[in-house]
Amino acid sequence: MVTTSPDVKLMAHLLRRAGFGATKEQLDQYISIGYEKVVDSFIDTEDSSRINDALVRRYFPDQSVTHDTTGAGSYWLYRLVSTDSPLREKIALFWHNVFATGYTKVTNGKPMSDQLRMFRSHGLAKLDDLLLKLSRDPAMIIWLDNVDNHNGAINENYGRELLELFSMGVGNYSEDDIKECSRAFTGWSIANSDYIKQLAVRNSIMPYGKLAWRYEYKEDDHDNGEKTFLGHKGNFNGEEIVKIICEQPATARFISRHLYHFFVADEPPVPSWPYKEPQDLEAISILEKTYFDSRYDIGEMIRVLLNSEFFKSETCHYKKIKSPAELAGNVLRTTEEFGTPNIRISERNSQITFMGQQLLNPPSVEGWHQGLEWIETGSLTERVNFASQHLGDLSKPGVRRIVQNVIDDEGESISAEVCVDKCLDQLGAIQTSQYIYDTLVEFAQENGIPSINLLKDKEKAAKKISELISVIASVPEFQQS
Amino acid sequence: MDGRGFMFPVDTTIGKDGRMHTVSRAYAPATAQLRITMYDIDSEYFGIYGGYGEGLGEFRWPTGMASDQNGNVYVSDELNNRINVFSHEGDPIKYWGDPGSSEGELNGPSGIAFDSDENLFVADHMNNRIQKFTKDGNYIFSFGDKGQDALNMPWGVFVSGDGFVYAADWGNDRIVKYDSSGDFIRSFGSRGSRKGQFKNPSGVAVDKDGYIYVTDWGNERLEILDKNGNFIESLRGQATISKWADEYFDGNYEEAEPRSRSNLEPDPIQFGGVPHEESAHIEKLFWGPTSVKLDNDGKVYVTESNRHRVQIYERTG
Repeated sequence: MVTTSPDVKLMAHLLRRAGFGATKEQLDQYISIGYEKVVDSFIDTEDSSRINDALVRRYFPDQSVTHDTTGAGSYWLYRLVSTDSPLREKIALFWHNVFATGYTKVTNGKPMSDQLRMFRSHGLAKLDDLLLKLSRDPAMIIWLDNVDNHNGAINENYGRELLELFSMGVGNYSEDDIKECSRAFTGWSIANSDYIKQLAVRNSIMPYGKLAWRYEYKEDDHDNGEKTFLGHKGNFNGEEIVKIICEQPATARFISRHLYHFFVADEPPVPSWPYKEPQDLEAISILEKTYFDSRYDIGEMIRVLLNSEFFKSETCHYKKIKSPAELAGNVLRTTEEFGTPNIRISERNSQITFMGQQLLNPPSVEGWHQGLEWIETGSLTERVNFASQHLGDLSKPGVRRIVQNVIDDEGESISAEVCVDKCLDQLGAIQTSQYIYDTLVEFAQENGIPSINLLKDKEKAAKKISELISVIASVPEFQQS
Repeated sequence: MDGRGFMFPVDTTIGKDGRMHTVSRAYAPATAQLRITMYDIDSEYFGIYGGYGEGLGEFRWPTGMASDQNGNVYVSDELNNRINVFSHEGDPIKYWGDPGSSEGELNGPSGIAFDSDENLFVADHMNNRIQKFTKDGNYIFSFGDKGQDALNMPWGVFVSGDGFVYAADWGNDRIVKYDSSGDFIRSFGSRGSRKGQFKNPSGVAVDKDGYIYVTDWGNERLEILDKNGNFIESLRGQATISKWADEYFDGNYEEAEPRSRSNLEPDPIQFGGVPHEESAHIEKLFWGPTSVKLDNDGKVYVTESNRHRVQIYERTG
C-alpha cells in the first residue's frame, strides 16, 4: 500500500468534511494553497457556482420557480455538484437538518429554495442574525404554524421548537418560557396569509402557478404586553427573545454539539443530549468559548473547529458516514456528469431519496438522524449501487480522465498493487484498511489488469480499471467521510 | 392529462384561422402534461396533441414553434434533436433531424421560423449557429458560429417579410441581424437592465413597420426597439385573470374568497430590484417570457413559462 503524506491525508479529510471530497487533481491544487488558507477561503468567500441560475432556468423552469419539491430538490443537487463554495452547501445541509423544514406542509418549492439560499448566505454568520432570519422565513412560518400565532390566541409550535430544536435543547427552559416566547413572536407572519394557507392546503397551482411568499409583520396582531422569559422581564418582541436565547450557555453548548456532530464525529441522537454528555468535552468547551468570544459567530466556530487538533486527528478520519446528499455530491462531482444542465438531474435526485434522504423533505422537525441510521439494508444497497454505477461508467468525463491518469506513465503494463494505489489516490487519497486493500488488489489481479497491454489494448484496460473504480466505490472508506 | 391550461409553456404559434397552438414543456415528474394546446383568442378550447417520448408526434424538450402556409405546425425538440411536424388539427405527420455538429445536424434546436419561401431557420443553440433547411429538412446552409460576432446559445429566431434574419443571442445578451444569406449586418443591445439593454433575450419578432419586439427573459420584460435599434418602450406585464381562470374561481370559492382580500401587487421595492423576485411576487408581471409572436392584426403574443400563460397585447400607434 502506498504511503500517503500527512499533508495529503489531512487535506483530503478537510475536503470530505467541509466539502464533497476532491479528486487528486483538485487535492493537489488545494495543497499548493495550504491548509489554513483553504479553510479561510471556504469560510470567507461568497457563494458562487459553475452552473449559474440562468442556465438552469433556461432548461428547467420548474427548478427555480414556485413549483414542487422535485424541481427545488433537483436545483439544489445542481448546486451541490457545481458549487465553487462547497462549505456554503455543507452549511446549508447542516442547517436544513437542524432547522428541518419540509415540503409536505409547505407544498411550494420556492419558499424552500429561498430558505436554503438564506442558509447559504447567512449560515456562517452570527447566530442571532440567522435565528431572526429563520423567524422571518416564510417556509418556517408555515411549517411551524407561526402564521396561526395570534395576539390572545398563541400557537406554541414555533416558540417551542425555537427553544427545543433550534437553540437550547430540552431541559433549559420551562413551559412558561415557551408561552412567553410564542407571545413575543405573534404577528410574525406572511403576506396574504389566508390565501397562502388555502393554496398550501389544496396544493393549488391556480390560476398562474403558485404565488411566491413573503414575510410580513402584522403589528396589530402582535402581543406587546410584558413578558417574562428566561428570567428577563420586558415588553419583548422576537428580536429581544433571540438576543436572550443567544446569551445562554445552553445555546453555546447546543450549537457546539451540533457542529461537532456534523463536522467531527457522530454524537448520540439529539433527543438524548440532555442525558448524555458530549463524547469530547474539551472540544465542545473550545467551541463554546469561541461562540462567546466571537459573539455567536458560526463561521468563526467552524474556523476554529477545522483548525483544531480534535478535527485534524487521524482518529476521526473516516469515522462519519456520508449522508446520501454528501455521497451523491461526491460521486457526481467526480464523474462530472453535469457539466451543463441535463435531464438526468431529476433521476439523480430521486436516487438520493432512495438512499434515505429526500432533500427538502426531512422526516420530521428533528431532521434526519445521522450516523449509522443512514445505513439499513435497502439504503445500503442503493448507496453502493449508486456510487458503483456512476463511478464505473466510462461514458462520464470525470471517470474517463481518472482512468487515463491511472494509465499515464505506466508504459505497457501496470501491476495490481500500483493500479489500486493510483485509483485510490485519484479518487481523493482514500486510505483503506489492509484487509480492504488486499481485497482490491486481489480483485484487480483476478480481473486481469496486470496482463493487459496498456499501449495496444487501451479500451480493454479502461474498462477493467473502471470496474476496479466501481468496486472501490462500494468499500466502507468511500462511503465514509 | 387532458384539458385546458398550460404547464411551463415555452412558445406559441398562430396558425390557420387564427388558431393558437401553445406548447407546454412541463417538467420531469409531470411528463404527462407535456403537450400542445389548441385554442383561440376568445379562449375557445379545441383540444391537445403531442406528448412525451421519442416516437412520431412525441417530444421531450419542445422549445420553438412555427406554422407553414398550409397551417402545419412545426415544433423543435432540444433533447431529441429534431423538428416535429403536425397538421393544423394536431395529427402527427413526420419528424426530421439528426443529432450532431456537422452541417445539417442538430444539437439543441431551439427557436424556429419560416421565411416567405417556406424554408425553416433553426436556432441550433448548442452548436451556436442558425441553420437553414427546407420545410422537409433538407439542409441549405448555416451561419452565425464563426468570428468575433459568433452566437452564444441562441434561442429565438425570426425572419422578416423582407428576408432579414434576427436571432435572440441568449448568451451574448443581444439581438443579431443577418441578411437572407446569413451575412452579419449588425447587433442590438448589450448586457444590462437599462433601456435597450438585455439579459439573456429569449425571443424576437419584427412587425411590418420594422419595430423589433424582444422578450428580455433575464429582465422579465418585453422590450420594443425601432428598426435602428433605438429604445421605444419596455413592458413588464399586466396580465388579468383569463376566462379559464375565472371559471375555475367560480367553482372554487375557498380560493377565490381569500384571494379577493389579498394584495397581489406589493410594492416591488422590497424585492431588491431583482426582476425574477419581482415577477415571483407580483402576479401580473411577466415571469419567464420565452417567446414573442405577432399576428397580422396588430397583436403581440408573449408566452410566459413560469406563470403558465400567454399575455396578448394590441399594438397601437
